[in-house]
Amino acid sequence: MRIIQIAVFASLLAATTVHAADMAAAEKKAKEVCGACHQPDGNSTNPQYPILAGQHPDFLRKALQDYQTGARNNAIMAGMAKPLTKAEIEGLAAWFAAQPSGLLQHR
Amino acid sequence: MQKNMTRLSVAVLGALSVAVLSLEARAADAAGDAVAGSKKNSMCIGCHGIEGYKTAFPDVYDVPKIGGQHAEYIVSALQAYKTGNRKHPSMRGIAAQLSDQDMKDLAAYYSAQKK
Repeated sequence: MRIIQIAVFASLLAATTVHAADMAAAEKKAKEVCGACHQPDGNSTNPQYPILAGQHPDFLRKALQDYQTGARNNAIMAGMAKPLTKAEIEGLAAWFAAQPSGLLQHR
Repeated sequence: MQKNMTRLSVAVLGALSVAVLSLEARAADAAGDAVAGSKKNSMCIGCHGIEGYKTAFPDVYDVPKIGGQHAEYIVSALQAYKTGNRKHPSMRGIAAQLSDQDMKDLAAYYSAQKK
């Protein structure tokens, strides 16, 4: 019984964490692809392209998902999001969220 | 001749003043006024001003941090919510109440926030 509990807990933990491999892949993609507009670390210097660094990861995930489904309507981002797998989206969201940033949630 | 020159000078000076003043007014309009923005943000703080605040509808996710975000991007997001191009019921309702100047002022306020 105990082993089942541990197994369930471990699988849940695995489901919620982004594996190191995914983070490494995300970093590569971020620097090579996303960085063209958003800067390699997500601290965009072009005011038309939002700063991604330090943004909430689940918001970034939602944004990429919405661009993928077309719920969010943007020709450039639709093309960027289209080929991403679920793991890649999770990785990118987690990686950008972890970058040093000046973004804040403040009245 | 002297009188005409004086009149002409006054007219030119007047025209120049009007041009310069209207240029200044346009510059302030284009830039957005962070102080004005700080007075208009009562609708924003409820969601964007509370650390870790999550939306409940239509999905559950973290309300994005806007402090320190690019002003131009904030304005384009608000415009997109207002037109419905970017879909979000609450943001659409809020953006609908904002004038172009309100958006610029709010964007100036939030983009200037520092840690």
